[in-house]
Parts: sequence; C-alpha cells; structure tokens
Amino acid sequence: MDLIVTHGITKIYNPKKIPVHALQGVDLTIKKGEFTAIVGPSGSGKTTLLNIIGGLDRQTVGTVLIEGVDLTKLSDNKLIDFRKNKIGFVFQSYNLIPVFTAAENVGFIMLLQKKPKKEIDIRVHNLLKSVGIEEQMNKRPNQMSGGQQQRVAVARALASKPKFVLADEPTANLDSRSTTDLLDIMENLNKKEDMTFVFSTHDQRVIDRAHRVITIEDGKVVSDVNN
Amino acid sequence: MGMIIKIAWRNIWRNITRSLVVIGAIVIGIWSIIFLVSMVNGMIESYIDNAIKNEVSHIKIHHPDFINDKESKFFITDIATKKSIVDSITGVKAVSYKTVTNSMISSSHAGRGITAIGVVPKDELNVSGVSQKIVAGNYLSDTKKNQILISKRTAKKLKVKLRSKVVLTFQNLENEITMGAFRVIGVFETGNNIYDESVVFVRQKDINTLLEINGNGHEVAILINNLPELESIQTEITKMFPGLLVRNYKEVQPELALFQSQIKMAGIIYMVIFMLALIFGIINTMMMAVLERVRELGMLMSVGMNKVKVFMMIVVETILLAIVAAPVGLFLGYITTSYFNKNGINLFFYSEEGMKQFGFDKFIYPNVPTDTYWQLVVAVSVTALLGSLYPAWKAVRLRPVEAIRGSFETRAGLVVSLFTFLRNKIRMIWT
Repeated sequence: MDLIVTHGITKIYNPKKIPVHALQGVDLTIKKGEFTAIVGPSGSGKTTLLNIIGGLDRQTVGTVLIEGVDLTKLSDNKLIDFRKNKIGFVFQSYNLIPVFTAAENVGFIMLLQKKPKKEIDIRVHNLLKSVGIEEQMNKRPNQMSGGQQQRVAVARALASKPKFVLADEPTANLDSRSTTDLLDIMENLNKKEDMTFVFSTHDQRVIDRAHRVITIEDGKVVSDVNN
Repeated sequence: MGMIIKIAWRNIWRNITRSLVVIGAIVIGIWSIIFLVSMVNGMIESYIDNAIKNEVSHIKIHHPDFINDKESKFFITDIATKKSIVDSITGVKAVSYKTVTNSMISSSHAGRGITAIGVVPKDELNVSGVSQKIVAGNYLSDTKKNQILISKRTAKKLKVKLRSKVVLTFQNLENEITMGAFRVIGVFETGNNIYDESVVFVRQKDINTLLEINGNGHEVAILINNLPELESIQTEITKMFPGLLVRNYKEVQPELALFQSQIKMAGIIYMVIFMLALIFGIINTMMMAVLERVRELGMLMSVGMNKVKVFMMIVVETILLAIVAAPVGLFLGYITTSYFNKNGINLFFYSEEGMKQFGFDKFIYPNVPTDTYWQLVVAVSVTALLGSLYPAWKAVRLRPVEAIRGSFETRAGLVVSLFTFLRNKIRMIWT
C-alpha cells in the first residue's frame, strides 16, 4: 500500500531574489511498513523533502499524497490537524518540553487529540516501556541523557498513533551506544507494529540499518536502493 | 484548557528571576496605587472635613443677593425661627445662624480688612470646629459683652494678645460707619492660613446691635448626619424657604469639588502611567520568553498545537503572572493603608506652612474604597492581557519549519514582507 507519494516536488527558496533550488522534481513512493533512510550531503535537500512530506513546509511545484490525501489542498488549520493525527516527528535536538516530565511529554499530543486520561496513562506507560525508559517517566528532560531524551521523543512521536514517523537526523547528537539502542527500538517498532519510519541522515550507522536508502544530491533523487 | 494552564504555569517558573521581576513590578505598582489612592482620599477628606467644619458646613442658607454683594441689608428675617424649623428636619445634625459682615479690624499698631462673623456661641459649638481650635484663652461665652476670637496669624499681624482691645468698624443699614470695641478673649488656629487671616468671631447679639438688625442674620449653617442625604435635605429646605438661597458645600465653595475632581484625576493619570509602564514591562518579558523558546514553539506547532492554543498559552502565562502578583500587591496595599489609617500620616513633617496654606490638617488618615481593590484587579488583568497580545501574536507568526531550527522572522523581515505584500497589492490594483 502506497503511504507517501510525491510527484515532481520542486522547492525554490527566494524565487524572486536569488532563487535556490532545494528540490527539483522529486518523485517518490514510500509504502507502509518501510524503514527508509533519505541520505545525502549537507544542503542536498533531504530535510526540505522531509519537511514537505511532513506538512511543515509547502513545495513550490508538485503534489504530496499521504494515504491519498493531497497535502497541497489542505488549509493551514487542516494541515495542523493532519500532522497531529497522522504524522509522528522526531527531531535532531529532541525538542522535548523542558517543563514536562517524560510521561507528560509523551502524553501531551494525546491531550491535544482530546483522548481520555485513562487511555493516555495506559498508552504513555506502554510507549515508555517499549522504548525502555519507563523508570524515567517522572524525570524532566534536563535530568535525562541525550539518548534517553531521544527515546522519549520517539515515544512521543508514536503517541498519537501516526501513520508514519519522520525523523530528521535523529542520531546526530547521540553517542554510538545510544544510536544503536535507538535504532534497535525503532527497528523493533517497525517489525512488530509495522510502523513506517522515514529518516533523513548522513550517519552511516543509520544507513547500514535502513531497509531502503534514497540518496539525494542537489535536490534530485540520484539513487534508490534496498539494503 | 487544563493543559494550556498547566504548561503556562510551569513555563512562568522556568526563569524564576525574570518572572519575579515582573511579579515584583506588578506588586509594587498595585501597592503604590493603593497607597496613592488612600493618600488622595485621606487628603480630600481632610481638606473637605476642615472646610465643612470651619467654613462652609454642609448646607447654607442666605438671602439670594447676599452672595453677590455681602451687604448687611441682605439679611434673613426672623432667623432664629428659621433655624428651629430646619433643626426639626430628619437627618439634620446641628444648625446655627450667623451675622456676617465685612469690616475693618484695628489695634493700636495696625489695621486690616476682615469678615466679622457674629455667632450664637452655644449653637456654633455644634456646627463649627472653631471652639476646638482655640490655642490661647477661651471660646466665646453667652454672658459677657463684646468678646472677640481672632486667629493666631491675625493676632500676630495686629500685634495683639489675649485681653487686648481691638476695634471693629463697619457700615450699618443706613450705610453709616459704626464701630465697636472688642476684647480678645481667645486665639484660634484652624490650620487653614487663608481662612484664619480672613475671619474673626464675635457674639451675634453684639454685632446685630451695631448693625441694627436685631432678630435677623445673614446665614444659617447646617450640618447633616449622612453625606449621601445631602441633596434630599437641601431640596427639602429649599421647598421650605422658597425666597432664600439654599446651597450645599460644593455650591458654596466650588473649589472643593474642583479640588476633589483634580486630585482624583491625578490619581487616575498615575494609574494609567503605571499601567502603560507595566504593559511595556510585560511585553518585554514575554517577548524574551517567546524568543527564548522559538525551537520549542516550533515543535509544539509541528506536532499539532494550533495557533489558537499557542496564542492562549502565552496569554495565560502572562495572566498567571498577574494572578500571582495581584493578591500580594493588594495585601501589601491593604496592610499599609490599614496601618496609616489607624496612626495617620503627619503632613506637616513635609511642609507645615504649605499644607496649612492649603487648609490641610496636620494628620491625614488614608483610606481606600473597596471598589478600588476590584478596579485594580480588573485594571491589572486587562493590562496583562494587553501586554501579552504582541508576544502571543509574535509566537503564532512563527513558521514551524523555521522555528524548529531556532530561527524566526525578524521585525525587519516582517516589515519587508508587509511592504512587499502591499506593493504587490497596489500593483495588482493598478494593472
């Protein structure tokens, strides 16, 4: 089943002044359950592609279909709701809410979804358990290591029961051990729960574990291989 | 909403120093406004009480022509009977009647123009505070003839003392000059220099004989029990004596009302200035809070927090700061006002002559109407709300894709965007 489909995605920054072509006609299809890495050198356009797929940015030309829904046709408010309910995000620098505990950070999105408290409590506990930090659930981000924070971020991304998770350089700030642990967790979730993961990365450890590697250079897909 | 309040509450304690600075500013502001309002009220009350006690009473009755031309011929006939009628009105506390005439007071050293007030001593005791302001000698007695009470300042200027003789000169009804010798039996000091220098008190019997208006007088002065009843009692008296002029203290001395309104206006201006300063303080603090959290706000918007919720979060944060600060400020204001209301503030410590010149008492007793507390709660809440709007607007203007990387549109960028937008619109309309 095609989960993400892009047709001729082109993104031009500063079109009227000094145009920068970040993406040039990217066509891509990602199926449900894939564990995909988008790789490429800095400035190649991988983060831009991820932002457009995630509905955080809008392309200059082209279409993005998520489960058949054309993101370009959604209003800003609809897009916010779409992101809340369909997409999980993991950011490079974790971006947890510093005044919330790990559990509150994970449950926060479910509160936005207006889920009942009991359901939130159960799911938060299960998610934190699945990423191996249920014992840290009452700690705030500043009381946790970078690896632990990124695991909370993964749990948070999964809290809303999204269709797929977008992770922008998730291991960039992590040491080897934390990177391996995080990749184990995500691969495990991919296998057990058929959760689709799309990473942007230039970390070889992530590339080695990805099932599919899409390489972008100068805003164009130059290779698309299965590992 | 619960989540918004929770996150906002915790956010305000992220940077305790910064939050305490804003809270401190609100506390000091509220406290100072309460104190200022209480001082203003205390001063107004002191000033008006002094004026009512010593000069104007609550209500006065005159011959209609007397107020324009204070000639002896404009008297009220059978004034004692009229006094008795007024005395029987419910709500009237005390009544006295007087003869008031312009005269010249002379001693062996100097002379000056003055208003001589002829009073019935025992009646005047209940209406005027002069009897309590005697600083040397005694108050007028009903038995002895030709006694006079003069102020300390007049005594100094005439170079007279107790038991000295002074001469009062005035015109009688036939416009003939008449005079009488009076002995100083008491010296008073009301605290209002202008008033003190302008009046002397004698027995009405004595002055009426000289003016040849026995049984008549120029003024009936009335004190009432409750100020809110002022206008109804005034109306009742007016109906009783249609040929006479019945005025309340604000009409007798319009400067009292003017002073009252001016000083209240000064209080309002101070409050507005404080609120404006507070708005800028809040904007500054909340802008810092927003700019410090650009990445976090970007994440919140990325994962699905809509603009309304982001906006509300910033607004609630600001209002929570005010909610924390307001009770502390109100409490401090209440404590301070209560203390000084009990013990008074010595105004003469600051400027004795100046304060006396304006007719203030030595001590004022600050007090705050209960309404002021509520008005302040509303004013601070509105100020906090207004102060939060710009930072909240800046927060929702963030684009998640940029904010998540920690960057945001600068003000210059916004101006350029606005300019570009307007230029394009104008071009579209033009073409």
